[in-house]
Amino acid sequence: MPMPDTILEDVFNAINLGLIIVDAQYNVLFWNDWIFKHTHIKQVEAKGHKLGGVFSEPLPPTFLNALKNTLEYGLPTIISNALHRSPLPLYDFSSQTNEKVRINQSITMSPLLPQRGGRHCIIQVTDSTTSIKREKMLLSHSEILRRDAVTDSLTGIFNRRFFDEHYKIAFHNAIRQRQCLSILMVDIDYFKNYNDYYGHLSGDNTLRAVAQALKSQLFRASDVIARYGGEEFVLILPDLSAGQAEKVAEKLKNSVFNLAIPHKNSPLFNQVTISIGLSVGMPKVEYDILGRADAALYLAKQQGRNRCVALPLLDEEQK
Amino acid sequence: MTNDIAKKLLIVDDSKVSRMLVRAQIVAVHPEWTILDACSGEESIALVEKGPPDYCIMDINMPGILGTDAAEKILEKYPSIRMVILSANIQETYQSRANALGAAFVAKPVSEKSIALALNHFQCPK
Amino acid sequence: MNLLSEMQRDALAEVFNIGAGRAALSISEIVGDEVKLSVPSIEVKKSVEIGVETLPLNNERFGTVHQNFTGPFEATAMLLFSEEKALEIVRDMMGSQMSLEELVEFEQEAMCELGNIILNACLSAMADILGISLNSTLPCYTIASCTELLHTITSSMDQDYVLVLNIVFTSVKRESEGQLILLLSSASLTNLIRHIDHFLGGI
Repeated sequence: MPMPDTILEDVFNAINLGLIIVDAQYNVLFWNDWIFKHTHIKQVEAKGHKLGGVFSEPLPPTFLNALKNTLEYGLPTIISNALHRSPLPLYDFSSQTNEKVRINQSITMSPLLPQRGGRHCIIQVTDSTTSIKREKMLLSHSEILRRDAVTDSLTGIFNRRFFDEHYKIAFHNAIRQRQCLSILMVDIDYFKNYNDYYGHLSGDNTLRAVAQALKSQLFRASDVIARYGGEEFVLILPDLSAGQAEKVAEKLKNSVFNLAIPHKNSPLFNQVTISIGLSVGMPKVEYDILGRADAALYLAKQQGRNRCVALPLLDEEQK
Repeated sequence: MTNDIAKKLLIVDDSKVSRMLVRAQIVAVHPEWTILDACSGEESIALVEKGPPDYCIMDINMPGILGTDAAEKILEKYPSIRMVILSANIQETYQSRANALGAAFVAKPVSEKSIALALNHFQCPK
Repeated sequence: MNLLSEMQRDALAEVFNIGAGRAALSISEIVGDEVKLSVPSIEVKKSVEIGVETLPLNNERFGTVHQNFTGPFEATAMLLFSEEKALEIVRDMMGSQMSLEELVEFEQEAMCELGNIILNACLSAMADILGISLNSTLPCYTIASCTELLHTITSSMDQDYVLVLNIVFTSVKRESEGQLILLLSSASLTNLIRHIDHFLGGI
């Protein structure tokens, strides 16, 4: 049984979103309560009039062009809040100050094709002032990736600040999605000796070369490498099994070994090598997975360097 | 409007399809006109030297010099040629450049409507 | 292998030049400055042949905006921006007064709109010139690595052919240049070609 029109109209008026429907001649056919609330223009006053003439202010060309395109070609069009703060003269009349405040908007226009009367357009307006929320920040956190502020100026990979943010997000994602998370702590072996022998400029070059070698081993968009501090790097690799993560660690170790950077001041090898501590598993809120990776790195150093040691997130006896 | 003298039109566009479309639209209205083709600004200048046309329809974006630059050179020497710039570049700067040259600007796509605009410009006295 | 005749390619180039011109106008109105969009190359490829070397952007990661459309033929139009270029374009469009935090918030939306402008302009030009009418979904913005992207393209087995368009985006005043790629993948690309032939036959 089809829903009666009166219920539909109630629904349109109840939703927390502006709705305007115009016909092929740009005449307003419908205008919900949300629009009234933000214009103080009643639907009866707007109905049957050209949308451009309903407001006391002229509408911007971008809005009118978008509407024209939607009606003419039937292609949906968006007008983002990012590029146009407030295309329609909509106000927040509830604000405490006497001045009415124009609200930030995001607009979506979609074509409707009713049985007769040509193409119509439904215009949806959301108040962006309130919609920009933490959730959105989390969604777009991957875009932080490009910013100078999160890049380590020496090596060009991410810096500690980015890592700290990303780690929190990746950690909670893994818990929520019940996926494995791998953290790899990487340290260049005998780097202090290297600097003492070759000087700091060569030390910087080596840091850069190691960072690039490590980075070149990562292929997934979700994998992140950052400079943790000094000669230490850290990697976050989501959704890999322990076996897969160990393979990646092995590749990382080899990639640096294959650089064959001479290191005459190394007590063990004649070239630059790295040690890796890996912690991998399904995280829980209370786990200190970074601490585990650090402990694993310590073991790798103890066991002779130029190697990777993996630890599960918890010792067997603690489980 | 008299159609008693067969006029000569030069179409300049690097797209063969576009030249064919313009030609087809013109022939439909003025089957008696002589129509010449050029596919670059340079070629159009050379063709005009051999015998200036009455009218010219010029694209802007082509390999080599811009259509507007070619139009400027042609109009300097042959100011009586009626020139229409027909382009997909519809930003204000291109339109005003065309107008500054004394040419009319018509937006692509090539259609009955856009060619009618060009013909209007050809037939209005300078 | 090339699946388009010279005339078909020429006709498509004209379609997308007009689309690019329309998009450039809309974008220039937003940035208040002249921009140029040009389409230097058009190719049809088998989707299995699409590899890293096909995408002439040497980037590991892309911002992508895609819209699915239906009508005389069904297809997915996907616009690829190299990552840094995407941010540059958005910064241009939003003005440089943006704080870092604001950029994070707005980038996704702005890229979506930019993609929507370019895709709609191309589709409307196609509609005008070929005399067809297309329906489309709303644009959707995602970030993907090259590998993920290739996987998406090659794994959709129902989309055998991909139309690859290079679009060069130039901001005249800022002298910055960016490259975009428009991928039009469709099982019914033959339908598009049929429409082009029909159009060519009508001249």
